[in-house]
Amino acid sequence: QVLKERKLYDEDKDDERLDSNDPEEMFQNIQYQKEIIANIRTRPWPMRRKLKVLKQAREIVLKYEGRLTRTRGYQAAGADLLKKLSRLLYNIVVLFIPWEMRIKKIESHFGSGVASYFIFLRWLFGINIVLTIMTGAFIVLPELLAGAPFGTTRSKTIPKEHLASAQDLDTIWSLGGYLQYSVLFYGYYGRVRKIGSAGYRLPLAYFLVGMAVFAYSFIILLRKMAKNSRLSLASASDENFTFCWRVFCAWDYLIGNPEAAESKGAAIVNNIREAIVEEQEKKKDTSLAVLISLRILANILVLLSLAGSIYIIYFVVDRSQKLEQEKPELTLWEKNEVVSVVVSLITMIAPSAFELVAQLEMYHPRTSLRFQLGRVLVLYLGNLYSLIIALLDKVNSMSSAVRNWSDSSFLATISQPEEESLSTLVSDVSEHRNSTIATIAMVLDVSNSTKSSTVTISNQTALFEKNTRSQQDQCWETYVGQEMLKLSIIDMIFTVASILLIDFIRGLVVRYLSDCCCWDLESKFPEYGEFKIAENVLHLIYNQGMIWMGAFFSPCLPAFNVLKLIGLMYLRSWAVLTCNVPHQQVFRASRSNNFYLAMLLFMLFLCMLPTIFAIVRYRPSQHCGPFSGQEKIYDIISETITSDFPLWFSKVMSYVTSPVVVLPALLLLFMLIYYLQAIARSLKFTNNQLRMQLQTERTEDKKKVFQMASDQQESDITSHESSIHTPSPRRNGSVTNFQSPVHRGNSIRTITQSASRADLNRGSVAGSSRSPTVSILHKHRLQHISNRFYVESMSTDSESMLHQPSSKWELTFKFYIHSDPLYRKTIRPMHAAEAAGIITAQSYMGRRAHATRYVILNEHDARKKLLRSATRIPRHYCVEEPGEILELYPRNIKRYAPRTPHPHRAHPSQGSFGQAHRPRSLSDLHQPARFYIGERVESQLSMAKDAPSARGRYEMDWEDLEAHSQTNARGAEPLLSPARTRNMEPQVKPKTRRKQLEPSLTESDSASLASSSDQQNSSTDQYIQVIHNKERYLKSDTRQGKLTKKKSKASFDLNVSGSNDLVCSNV
Amino acid sequence: MGTTASQLGKDLLSEYQVRTSNAHKRFTELLSKEDKALPNPRIPMQSILTLPELKSNPFRKRICHVFSTSDMKDGSLTFEDFLDLLSAFSDSATLEIKSHYAFRIFDFDDDGTLDVGDLEKLVNCLTGETDDTRLTPDEMRQLINNVSSILEESDIDKDGTVNLSEFQHVISRSPDFVR
Repeated sequence: QVLKERKLYDEDKDDERLDSNDPEEMFQNIQYQKEIIANIRTRPWPMRRKLKVLKQAREIVLKYEGRLTRTRGYQAAGADLLKKLSRLLYNIVVLFIPWEMRIKKIESHFGSGVASYFIFLRWLFGINIVLTIMTGAFIVLPELLAGAPFGTTRSKTIPKEHLASAQDLDTIWSLGGYLQYSVLFYGYYGRVRKIGSAGYRLPLAYFLVGMAVFAYSFIILLRKMAKNSRLSLASASDENFTFCWRVFCAWDYLIGNPEAAESKGAAIVNNIREAIVEEQEKKKDTSLAVLISLRILANILVLLSLAGSIYIIYFVVDRSQKLEQEKPELTLWEKNEVVSVVVSLITMIAPSAFELVAQLEMYHPRTSLRFQLGRVLVLYLGNLYSLIIALLDKVNSMSSAVRNWSDSSFLATISQPEEESLSTLVSDVSEHRNSTIATIAMVLDVSNSTKSSTVTISNQTALFEKNTRSQQDQCWETYVGQEMLKLSIIDMIFTVASILLIDFIRGLVVRYLSDCCCWDLESKFPEYGEFKIAENVLHLIYNQGMIWMGAFFSPCLPAFNVLKLIGLMYLRSWAVLTCNVPHQQVFRASRSNNFYLAMLLFMLFLCMLPTIFAIVRYRPSQHCGPFSGQEKIYDIISETITSDFPLWFSKVMSYVTSPVVVLPALLLLFMLIYYLQAIARSLKFTNNQLRMQLQTERTEDKKKVFQMASDQQESDITSHESSIHTPSPRRNGSVTNFQSPVHRGNSIRTITQSASRADLNRGSVAGSSRSPTVSILHKHRLQHISNRFYVESMSTDSESMLHQPSSKWELTFKFYIHSDPLYRKTIRPMHAAEAAGIITAQSYMGRRAHATRYVILNEHDARKKLLRSATRIPRHYCVEEPGEILELYPRNIKRYAPRTPHPHRAHPSQGSFGQAHRPRSLSDLHQPARFYIGERVESQLSMAKDAPSARGRYEMDWEDLEAHSQTNARGAEPLLSPARTRNMEPQVKPKTRRKQLEPSLTESDSASLASSSDQQNSSTDQYIQVIHNKERYLKSDTRQGKLTKKKSKASFDLNVSGSNDLVCSNV
Repeated sequence: MGTTASQLGKDLLSEYQVRTSNAHKRFTELLSKEDKALPNPRIPMQSILTLPELKSNPFRKRICHVFSTSDMKDGSLTFEDFLDLLSAFSDSATLEIKSHYAFRIFDFDDDGTLDVGDLEKLVNCLTGETDDTRLTPDEMRQLINNVSSILEESDIDKDGTVNLSEFQHVISRSPDFVR
């Protein structure tokens, strides 16, 4: 509504500005219009209005831009074209957003909560694509294209004894064999510094990409979070509107499926009931010992299960390690799957167990959901951590085993003195562990050729073989990568299985067996699977954590994850659409919610830690991978710097990395952080201050309004009383006059009401039958609205007026002020603020309730129309103050009837009444009476011509009145000269404040005691006029008719001549 | 010929600043044959309610009424009203637009404020009309105008009703207001 007003104002402004020829102003105007064009979409107007304003603004821009410079016109045309193109492009891009339609469909079935899971999944998918491109383009492809081909070096060759089984399914399944010696894993990559003809530094690239994966993930996550938190105001304020949100924001407007709508409706009911009950219980504040002990028990259970799961994982890893050492031949189960299967099982089962435990606690669903999420997150993290720790432990023991073996082999060879050559050879070799295969071959050769292999020797060689193999396999990076990939695969399998079994089969059973079962399957026990958004999101996060953890050791892991996510997307969306129901506990995380992202960030950080730790702490394997032969993985950087960069660079680097630079840099960083934090704190403080200021201003404002309201009511009462008890002396005791007080009060109220409703019941004077109380309520409200708008706009003019003490009229006048934003379909600008003034006591007769509207029009228009409508204008207005153009719409009358302007309160009342009764028959129905107040000679002349006779009569009144100078203030009017408004301030009740400087109608009526006699006169005139009108229009407006009847009776035989005048003017 | 009459001029369509071809297609689908011949056809409320997007919305009738510019108050929509409806519910609509229309949808008696009656109707719309889901009068009172209730939270000026700016204030704080 406000915006509508603004728009109306805009229109007016357009008119005003049309004439200006000042280039500067013109330019500003163009800017202004452009602003309108740019913002038009954000305004809640009906389309027609938008179109109209848009067209107008565009025309103006075109017109004036052409006037300013010609090139601008072309620029504008070009910009237009560009805009069209970009829109087209955007529409095309939208077509390529993956799964957009699918997600929209889900959204329409299950609401935005479920859809947020899929959007999150898609976002993760995007990240993984980028990661895949990074690893693929910078590591995998160069290695494949330019690296040493398969089988050329030892790290790229499958050991002979494994060759036979390299293609077995179980080997492949456990990622051994060919897969182990492929680009999938760290071990395959060559250690050659530069590969290919271009000299691509693969090891360096490997390291840098490994780090870049983390860096990119961090950056993209943080950016997204920052964007989200900018979007959401929610985080900025700690205000909590539990009930309001539950009701106002309950419905998810995206839901289109009747079933979903039903369940959503049920959820809302539950939610509201819960809120009520909770609120009631909060007051009671009961704390049951049983409940507390139950909760403690539940927490203990959860902790136990967490510890248990961690222990199981550790145990399993340990056991698999031992098994590997003890038994040469392992079953498929024992070999590899134990670890990942156990981990996946735990991740599947434990959340359900937690849920069961959570039922013990009897928390509020939302709280318990939060607990559940926290626990599951801890579980996932615990799993990953215990796994990685166990793996690293294994890595430790592997490297120590290598050392042990070398010692033992040395001793063993020495213990066979009869074959000295061999023993020396072996001992030699064993000292150079690098060439073990050769040694083994030699040993075998020698032993075979001498044919003196005793049992001990053969044993020895067997031991050698085994140890050598294990030593060559000692590529712990590959091992970790294998484990992570295996875990990921198994996790995928379990996810698929759980979707199929738990959701699909269950759905089938429930749907088709519910008829032949003794209880209702659909609502009792098995039910349909719920789509647990939060847990599924957590699972995604966990999955991504695995990827981050393993990406360094297995460069193809992101690529695998991309495939996995695609599969998951399709499977999940299918499952959701076919066999799931939305989660009962509504966990609505809108798109702007940072909750998931925060968890993801947490996960990323925690997953990065072990990888970094492994990189920093452990020595890279000696026989495989790009970093073999180095002491530490990160040595690649310093090596590259020393060997490949100019000397000065390495010098600079050595300085930079020396404590001399690093420590101050750290210090600086800390200071910076502190500084930024301080700024943030101060901003927060300012924020709070501003909010408090706003609140106090609001409350003050409120107080003012209340005061006004109470004044109003008081004066209302007094007016009633006075009208009842004091017969107006000038009325010559006509009885009818005194019957009216109640009616008057009523009519006044209804007037305000009609104004307030006018926007909706366009053109109809509705609500005349409303009860007074209701309308008073309206009034308050309206006032409040206007008041607030006023505060916001802070227009100083009106402000000063508002602050005017109104004590003067408290005695004499009653004011109805109300402003309401009006909607009007007609082209006429409408005014928001309206005021009706009523003079009590002495002069109340003169004052009828008016809600009058003033419109300031463009001078030209006004002038033109003025001529047409001049007949209806009471003459005395011509005398008005200079420079003002007023157009008044008393609201209490038919909307389309032209209203007389009332610059002065006393007079307007007559005018408005007179006109009130000839509403629609006028030829220019929509043509409001234009009023010239001001010293425009022509206007005066024209008016004078029209009604010379009447003028003479009224001018006298006018002068009297002017002495007391009661006038209306239109503070917000931009056109008015301040000086003029100042004059009237004292007696003026300002009631206009429109945020947008709208054509505000301030109408203030004030009448002084002295002027009451004049008013008396005028009022009688009015009544006379009314009589004439009444005969004609009684039917058209009963309410008015009533009033007029009463009044007319009272004042019938007063100034006959005056009535004649008025009648003339009517015609 | 009937269809051509209801076609909007190309230049006019381009002025809507949005891709209207889809919207217009959907609009004409809803028109009956004889309506298409009219220069400025209106879809009756009944056929709007059959839109899948609105089919199960508890506020569907209110939505029609709010967006309708018809003088008859019958909830029928012209093409421009229809565009308004679509744009208000689109992804790109600003919070201000959405809250504005949400307010008008919730304002059942069209008086510019949400009073107790409006809130009751709103809650009833949400809970459905059956007896078991419907709130008891006691609950309703608790929800709407007790201490700590909707009015308590949102009615900043304590006049017993929620007006547009209060509504927007509350709504904009909500993390869930995505629509």
